Amino acid sequence: MKFIHFADAHLDSPFRGLSFLPSNAFNQIASSTDQSLSKIVDIALNEQVDLVLIAGDTFDSNHPSPRSQLFFAKEIKRLTDAEIQVVMIFGNHDHMSEKDLLVNQSPYFKLLGPNEKVESASFTTKSGFKYDVIGFSYLNNHILTDKIAEFPQKSSNFTIGIMHAQEKTDQAAHDVYAPFEVKDIKELNYNYFALGHIHLRQNVSENPWIVYPGNIQGRHINELGEKGCYLGIIDENSNQVKLEFKKTGPIVWKSQELILNHELSKSDLSDLILQNLKATQTTYFSLQINGAQLLTEEELELVQDTDFWQNISMQLENNSQLVNVRLKISSKLSLNSSDQAAFDQAFNEVFSVNEFGKFSKDWQKKDRLAEKFANDSDFLKEVENLAKVKMGNELKGIIDET
Amino acid sequence: MRLKKIKIINFGQLSNLEFDLPSDNLNLFFGKNEAGKSTTVAFIKQVMFGFYLRSSSSPFFEDYTPLAHVSPMGGSLFFEYKEGSTFELERLWAKGDKTKRGILTVKKDGQLVPESLFFDQIQNINGEFYADSFIFNQDMLGQVSSLSQTDLLERIYYLGAADSSKLLEIRDSFEKNASTLFKKTGKKPEVNRLLKEILDQRENLIQVENQYQDYEELEQEYKSYKKELDENDSKLKKLNDKLHEYQDLQKQLENYQTLKKLEAQQKEVNFDKEDYQNAQSLLAQIKNLAESIDSLQNQLEQLNASVDMDFTVARELVQKRANVLQWQSEYQACLQKAQQFESEKQQILALNPELSKLIDLNSEQIKQLQNDYDNLPQEVSSEFIEPAENTTKIWTISGIIALVIGFVWAFSSIVPGVAVIVGGIALLIYGLTQKSKSDQARNELAIQNKKRAEKYQLFIQKYGFDPQKVNLKDLLIQLSQYQLKESAIKTNNDQIADLNLNLQGFTTKVENTLKKQISSDFDSVLNAINVIDNIVDKQRHLNDRKQTLQADLSSQKQKQKELNLELKAIFAKDNLKDMSDFDQQYQESLKQADLKTRIDALKASLKDQLTELEKFNSNSDNKKLAKMKLEGEISDLQKIISDEQAQLAEIQVKMNNLSDSTAVFKARQELANLETKFENASKEYLANLLASKWINRALDIASNERFPKMLAAAKEYFKLLTGGRYTDLALDKKITVIRADGKKRDVKYLSRGTAEQLYFALKLAFVEQIKDKINLPILIDDSFVNFDDQRVEYIEELLRKISENNQVLIFTAQNSLIKQMDILPLTFTKGNLDA
Repeated sequence: MKFIHFADAHLDSPFRGLSFLPSNAFNQIASSTDQSLSKIVDIALNEQVDLVLIAGDTFDSNHPSPRSQLFFAKEIKRLTDAEIQVVMIFGNHDHMSEKDLLVNQSPYFKLLGPNEKVESASFTTKSGFKYDVIGFSYLNNHILTDKIAEFPQKSSNFTIGIMHAQEKTDQAAHDVYAPFEVKDIKELNYNYFALGHIHLRQNVSENPWIVYPGNIQGRHINELGEKGCYLGIIDENSNQVKLEFKKTGPIVWKSQELILNHELSKSDLSDLILQNLKATQTTYFSLQINGAQLLTEEELELVQDTDFWQNISMQLENNSQLVNVRLKISSKLSLNSSDQAAFDQAFNEVFSVNEFGKFSKDWQKKDRLAEKFANDSDFLKEVENLAKVKMGNELKGIIDET
Repeated sequence: MRLKKIKIINFGQLSNLEFDLPSDNLNLFFGKNEAGKSTTVAFIKQVMFGFYLRSSSSPFFEDYTPLAHVSPMGGSLFFEYKEGSTFELERLWAKGDKTKRGILTVKKDGQLVPESLFFDQIQNINGEFYADSFIFNQDMLGQVSSLSQTDLLERIYYLGAADSSKLLEIRDSFEKNASTLFKKTGKKPEVNRLLKEILDQRENLIQVENQYQDYEELEQEYKSYKKELDENDSKLKKLNDKLHEYQDLQKQLENYQTLKKLEAQQKEVNFDKEDYQNAQSLLAQIKNLAESIDSLQNQLEQLNASVDMDFTVARELVQKRANVLQWQSEYQACLQKAQQFESEKQQILALNPELSKLIDLNSEQIKQLQNDYDNLPQEVSSEFIEPAENTTKIWTISGIIALVIGFVWAFSSIVPGVAVIVGGIALLIYGLTQKSKSDQARNELAIQNKKRAEKYQLFIQKYGFDPQKVNLKDLLIQLSQYQLKESAIKTNNDQIADLNLNLQGFTTKVENTLKKQISSDFDSVLNAINVIDNIVDKQRHLNDRKQTLQADLSSQKQKQKELNLELKAIFAKDNLKDMSDFDQQYQESLKQADLKTRIDALKASLKDQLTELEKFNSNSDNKKLAKMKLEGEISDLQKIISDEQAQLAEIQVKMNNLSDSTAVFKARQELANLETKFENASKEYLANLLASKWINRALDIASNERFPKMLAAAKEYFKLLTGGRYTDLALDKKITVIRADGKKRDVKYLSRGTAEQLYFALKLAFVEQIKDKINLPILIDDSFVNFDDQRVEYIEELLRKISENNQVLIFTAQNSLIKQMDILPLTFTKGNLDA
């Protein structure tokens, strides 16, 4: 038996950090998620799989656009027309009611566990191999309870669990996506556990399989690497599963580090950047320039200018794009030692969570988005970096004068 | 640093004035109003930090009368820096100097040094800092309500890190950047603006995301319209069916009416098909018979009419063929004989030349001769063969044969048989007659021969030849021979002539019979006989046939009669006159059958509608009305349907638009873009903000946590100055004070006195905090106007405490204070006035 497992298609989802792209380049990525989904369906048809598992967040919103709904319905129809069983659950993004789904009715399409009730469905492949799929769909955007307790004992059939969920953390506030503990899933001892929600592809466990396939197309610079689906091949005698990752996302996001060791001219800088951005496939680069303190103020301004990025992009292969530049200083501020100590101490204090919270309170209070960012360690890290770069640059001015 | 001496050359209304300050701690300057107290304060400040020549508007105490008319202006300050070490600061300004700040010369221990040497000692503060921190006067007191942590911190930070002023500049620029990016309240800063846009876009997205609902609603609407449409369609279909039924009925009505007409034409016909078929068959037979009879009769007629010939004669002629053949052979024989005779005659002549004399003798002479000769013995020839003997026999035999044939024939056919018999008898008779005739002739011939022989001798004499030499007898024999020959020839010729005659006669008969010329020779005649024979033969066959035909004819006529009877019986049975009646009846029956078929077909096709048609037929007007009504309903319904279809199409278009619409994605993308912008701007804002905080904090730390300490001191001083009425201070963006009862108060609600006390507390706390870094004299200019006695007491205590660390110069016009302080004051006197 063969199956495909994918999740987090996030149809309708916007792409972040690309507003500066010219429209044709933007259209390229705007259609990439759809393309990736179509490609997954192509693979399912070519491989003549028996089952396609869709582990939630197919749509980016519980109010998906008709266009995306119809597109999805069309793709599902290609599968069901080929008599490929599709089992789908809703995730925290597309927590909607079954009736709102525009997919055509088919014996080959199963929305599993609507209303957040764990449901078990039994199927038989054309060759007569029996298997169960067990899982549930979101109806609300948060599920606070650990749903694993509700999963039934495995039957004698090959058993697949499917769930859109996130592992338990140490912060209860974060445990809002059916928090689970890996050991509990392992205890169920299902033959395969298809997860969704985490966009980074990862095997939580290999025996038994507990798998996040990642999302199907990177949407911003924090969704790096090749994206796609898993093709699983089940040995019907031993019930062993072989997994093969299939890349379907047409555009790959990549983070590239560039280390500066000395000051250099603008044109040398530009050449160095180009040398560092080699693309064998359509790649959207995030460039981290380490040693930003070596850049002149003009160069700093340049590397943060999207027109400059576009200029670089025009010289990249495979329609690749430079879409992000992050700056990092590689050395400590050049200050006298007592001042240095004061600055270090001050930095640690000011950038501590509490202090940051205090300083950014007015800003945070303005909007939930600000609040979200304020609680995002990546965001804080970037603010830190930026502050450091700014500070480094300013202090360099002082030092130069003295 | 202690101020030891003030030397004023020219400054404001003061000139040539010197003060030697007696105390390193507390010095009092006493003077009435306008005596020069404030001017002295300004002088101290301006010598250190530069003249202030009203080039720009000047705040508070420096707002004094211009000094333009005196030159040079300025003077000196003498500081004791460390034990035994002094700084002399002289600042002079003369007309024409480029700088209006005056020219500063610094001497350390009497040696000219760079001014920085002095300023390094006071952390390179500026005049503003000095004024704000070390000078207390009415103007500065008035600012207490606007005094903030920031101001105080800033001044403290001067003391922390190296380049703190630059750091503060950087911090300011960070802060400024931050504030251009975001303000707690405000619309213009980028982050605020983006936030607003995000809110709008979210609102917009909700609107756009309604697509989802819109689509569902449209789909619902579509379904309900579709359902309605389907219902109406089926209703329409029903109506149309009904209409068609009416139309059909109307169409069928014709058929129905035809049916009725046809039914009216229906009637009973007693038609016996079997009889009819019999009759037909009989008729056919009769007809066939009649035809056959006709044909027979025709044939008979033809047989009768065919040959115009006298068959009796013909038959006779044919029967005479043997005769002709006989004649022919006779004739042939005769011809041969003639030839033979002639040659024998010539032979005889050749052999008997004497014979030539005899041959011309006529018969009389011959007879004479013969007679003469006969006198000679003469042999008589008995050998005379009657030539007709055989012929006679043939006739007899032919007769017998004919008789036999006749009898035989008569068995099969009487008439010709009998005829042949008759012929046979005739032949027989003829034959017998001929026999007797030939017998007679033979006798005569014998006599003649005897006579000749007798006369033979006589001939010799008489006729010139010697019968001796010539055997007359032989000669006569020869003559006779010759004559015989001649006679034979003659006879032969006669016979030939007879034969020819016979033939001629026969030919004539044949010609008559055949009715055509025939050449009179045997072959032709025989041919003609063959022809006749054929004809006769044919005729005989014809006769036979005719008989057969006649027999058939009569039998058929008999049969015809019988059949006619049978037919009549049938007619009688079926009550018919004749066959045409029957045919008519048959046609009628066919017509009825056809009628029935048509009726049945119509009935079959009308089947269920018959009853309705009956009604319809009887009531077609009402039906027409109903139909019109129906048509009306249909057209109404069609209108509704077409409306619904239009609606559906419209909905479909909307749905298609929605399903093609990327508006949701665009709206989300737009929101994401805004959010990204917001994120970036926020990062920028926060990075700037935090960088400024970072510098703040770093300075804080570098300044040895002076601020917290200062705050603690300020609290203490404030409590002291207020006699415990106020127990706490909170320094935030603005200052709030906390009363003993725990209530918070904004500075602006404090009484003027309390506000001044607060100002004192804060400033003195500050100065005290920075004493190790900047130790300059504290200048208090008439600042206690609002201090009542009680308060003055408190402040005195404070000042004494402060003056332990900082030199304090108090400029006052209040005697009470002088008394209170119990210090000999310095006074303002023109010229040099020493204390």
